[in-house]
Amino acid sequence: MLEMKSISVPAGRLDFSEKMTGAAKFCQDLRPHGMFYAKTLRSSKPRAKIRAVRLPLLPDNVVIVDWRDVRGKNIVPIVTDDQPFFARDQVNYIGEPILVATGPNPDELRKIIDSIQVDYEELPAVLTIEEALSRTSDIIYGDHPWFVSYEYLKGDPDTAIHEAAISVEDEFHTGYQEQAYLEPQSMLAEQKDGVMTVRGSMQCPFYVEEALMQALGWERTRVRVIQLPTGGGFGGKEDYPSIPAVHAALAAIKTGRPVMLVYDRGEDIMCTTKRHPSCIRVKSHLDANNHIIAREIEVLSDAGAYCGLSGVVLQRMIYSVPGVYQVQNLRVSGRACATNKVPSGAFRGFGGPQAFFAIEMHMEHVAREIGVDPLLFRKTHFLRQGDLTATGGRLRSPVELEAITDSVCTLSDYYEKRSTPKEPGGKLRGIGFSAFFHGCGFTGADERDIISARVRLCKGEDETVNLYVSSAELGQGAITTLSKIAAETLDIPLSQVLCGYPDTGVCPNSGPTVASRTILVVGRLVQEAALKMKEHWDEAFCETESHFRYPGGFSFDKKLHTGDAYLEYAWGANVVEVEVDPITYSCNILGAWAAFDIGTPIDTTIAAGQVHGGMTQGLGYGCMEVLDMKAGRPLQCSLTDYMIPTSLDVCKIDFRFVQSESVLGPYGARGMGELTLVGAAPALAAAVENAIGKPVTQLPVTSEYIMELSRHG
Amino acid sequence: MARVFRPGNLKEALHFLDAERAAVLAGGTDFMLKAGRYPGAEFAVLSIGHLHELKRIAIDAANVLSLGAVCTLSEILESPLVPLFLKLPIAEIGSPAIRNAATAGGNVCNASPAGDVLPMLYALDATLVLKSHGDQHEMQIRDFIQGPGLIRIAAGQMLTEIRIPLRQTWRCTWRKVGGRRANSVSKTSFYALIDRTSRGLGDVRIALGAIAPTVVRSREAERIILDAYRGKPSQRCTEIIALYDALISPIDDSRSCRDYRRTVSLGLLENFLTEVMRI
Ligand SMILES: Cc1cc2nc3c(=O)[nH]c(=O)nc-3n(C[C@H](O)[C@H](O)[C@H](O)COP(=O)(O)OP(=O)(O)OC[C@H]3O[C@@H](n4cnc5c(N)ncnc54)[C@H](O)[C@@H]3O)c2cc1C
Repeated sequence: MLEMKSISVPAGRLDFSEKMTGAAKFCQDLRPHGMFYAKTLRSSKPRAKIRAVRLPLLPDNVVIVDWRDVRGKNIVPIVTDDQPFFARDQVNYIGEPILVATGPNPDELRKIIDSIQVDYEELPAVLTIEEALSRTSDIIYGDHPWFVSYEYLKGDPDTAIHEAAISVEDEFHTGYQEQAYLEPQSMLAEQKDGVMTVRGSMQCPFYVEEALMQALGWERTRVRVIQLPTGGGFGGKEDYPSIPAVHAALAAIKTGRPVMLVYDRGEDIMCTTKRHPSCIRVKSHLDANNHIIAREIEVLSDAGAYCGLSGVVLQRMIYSVPGVYQVQNLRVSGRACATNKVPSGAFRGFGGPQAFFAIEMHMEHVAREIGVDPLLFRKTHFLRQGDLTATGGRLRSPVELEAITDSVCTLSDYYEKRSTPKEPGGKLRGIGFSAFFHGCGFTGADERDIISARVRLCKGEDETVNLYVSSAELGQGAITTLSKIAAETLDIPLSQVLCGYPDTGVCPNSGPTVASRTILVVGRLVQEAALKMKEHWDEAFCETESHFRYPGGFSFDKKLHTGDAYLEYAWGANVVEVEVDPITYSCNILGAWAAFDIGTPIDTTIAAGQVHGGMTQGLGYGCMEVLDMKAGRPLQCSLTDYMIPTSLDVCKIDFRFVQSESVLGPYGARGMGELTLVGAAPALAAAVENAIGKPVTQLPVTSEYIMELSRHG
Repeated sequence: MARVFRPGNLKEALHFLDAERAAVLAGGTDFMLKAGRYPGAEFAVLSIGHLHELKRIAIDAANVLSLGAVCTLSEILESPLVPLFLKLPIAEIGSPAIRNAATAGGNVCNASPAGDVLPMLYALDATLVLKSHGDQHEMQIRDFIQGPGLIRIAAGQMLTEIRIPLRQTWRCTWRKVGGRRANSVSKTSFYALIDRTSRGLGDVRIALGAIAPTVVRSREAERIILDAYRGKPSQRCTEIIALYDALISPIDDSRSCRDYRRTVSLGLLENFLTEVMRI
């Protein structure tokens, strides 16, 4: 056992007491004088032209805001210019915003919204990936059925395939996942002295600022965005908050009032981004020694009606889908398909959960096909330090997959359980394993090309140090861990470091709070700024900044998809044990175990919180969280119907950290926020497969699906 | 905005109901969800959850248990008078917070096909006491519940008591099948009682929940099961299952599908017949 580094010693969350006592003021706790509320009118059709919008007679104090009020550009600024803030003459998904009504009484606003009539001319809607790909007319986006299409090669797959002794093929399907954060989308906009200030629930204050500048057509100096205490994000507050923020701001401008826009739960589930459903085909080609010599993988994701982040999510999917394995010859392709449904977007894992589900189940299936122990089979293909990744990037930091695997197998008693009889008391028991990674930070060179993060430290006369970053505190502990890095580096008590919620008016842009980048990238910059400050510590006032510099020797070619897809990787393995009831087909999780290499944990208690939360969310994705669409409309629009695990559904989760130091991260830390979610579902699915003896190819593994498999499988 | 009346006692409550049309609110765990769908609607609410007269739990000389309509599920679980075969289904309802607020009467009056208090009340031939200002009626639960959310209650009437004939010898089998282990609406449920004494099997009762507009129970099928058990092998298991199959009408909805509900409901029945009844 390694001795714990001082940075890893739990310090207590700095936002703990304000949240535990209820003192923290969330958006809905605020009531500025004269505040108006706002409600959104949304499309009830998956695809239609808007012929007319008929308003009822409105009371004097109710004001309508729509596309006509967008003085700047009516386009949400994310990657592709296709999604409007307000639909103008066409709607492309059920739930798309058409207008906002604002006034003093929320009940009255709801009645007004319900009484507005929209004349639609319905167009043929595209509702599934298959429908999209078979379309030759009525295409949603441009002249092809997808927003983006990528392909990359490694080695010479065609020649290798020709030489293969055996080939094994699989097709996998995964469903939506809803972030189900506790606090729905909430924004409060206020205009004062020509400056628009928007406060609310968000992960990325500078994305919201960008959106406001674009919609309002205002200079940066006239726009200010402040994150409030936020009840969870999980990716759902990465790009989406730009829309309610702009709506609230436009309403505030038009009424001259502070305007609060809060979604109710049904609305939030219906119209905000979710995890991409996917269809993934994997074909492995093996030589006579049971070694994989080539692989062909095709990924299709359901992007919904607008491109949003689907391109970047797809990149992560196709870079992750080869798994933790060294295969010399690869052909990987991916397409993000356009459908008339709510846009899919960011969700913890960002394409990883679908990818690792597919590759890990496929590894199980191949092992079974050739009659080899699935763990042994994996081990003979594990990536190692110094290897080239699927995209040809070099694995510079240690890769401890063997140690991680051995650790989780010992912890869970995997081999013993896998080989014992499986039917105590008529229940079917099974145990499953998964191994996975998560690339930390933005894909490729985007940390340099798109974000270019900065952080600032200021020391006052009283020797307190103010830390200015744009990393949002979402309950994950960002404020605490970043402050710890500053305190440790400056060798001062943690209480001497002050870090508030990000405010674009005072903080430099250290980038969004996404992509498991906060510790690796922002934490590293905090450490560098602190080191600089240390040199000037004796000066009365001292301000230091540090800027992201793309590390030497790294490179990535976006067009060819070659080079270092990520700055750093974090690794993990999970084991899940289940019991399937042969009458009700329900799956009871008996145990979940994990080993992760997140490098040095910056605070072991906060890291444990990420493990418990991430794995629980991953287990929910694996067996419980169903979101179906019927004619483009989500069916489970409440937390009664959209089921996330309760404390009774989650077993004890036991885990270990296998610590090998990152060459880039502060104090040797890697990233961890997303890693913890990625492997739970495939381990669970493998356990069910082991219990019922039928191949599982779909997520979530619901009772209904287990029944299907048991009958026909 | 709703006008809420909080009476001091049952008499005041019934008087209020007699005088004006009001919605009754007990624990509010169903009511508040429905009310949320009509924001700003004008209506009168009669709040009864606090009325002590409706919180009585007692067993009379004829061994009939009476449960006051606003006994919360937690209170029922804590009462030493309530036998285990009534507690099992209640213990799986909602979550601790919900059970602290939700009442048995509310579950009955809400008349959801998935109401988990209902199958046992059907199986036990429970009677409901309905009171109005100066009047009182008794009605069997199966007559009271007409369909999803539909109950036979007259204007001015309120459910005050649930009366359940007990037998010491009842043994129960209960399975709730939901999407998760707390706060989950039943996809289907199975409740059965057998009364096995030294003289043999005295009785059997079977109630299937969340598989038809109301709880499914068939006295005729139960007699056939008794006959089969007592050695008249005229009816085999598959035929009994077919009888129930004809009575159920499972649906597809946001929580599950017809096929699953049917398969599992009949699977639980079959398991009961073969493993517990050993038919
Ligand atoms: C999170 C959650 C989980 C739940 N889980 C379950 C579950 O697992 N199983 C289950 O069966 N239910 C469940 N429910 C539903 C609900 O809790 C139960 O149906 C509960 O028993 C209702 O009781 P109540 O006192 O809250 O009723 P209320 O909401 O107060 O009333 C329900 C209805 O009955 C009427 N009513 C109530 N009392 C009387 C009376 N004495 N006379 C006349 N009319 C009356 C009301 O007017 C209303 O229409 C759940 C609800 C929630 C919110």
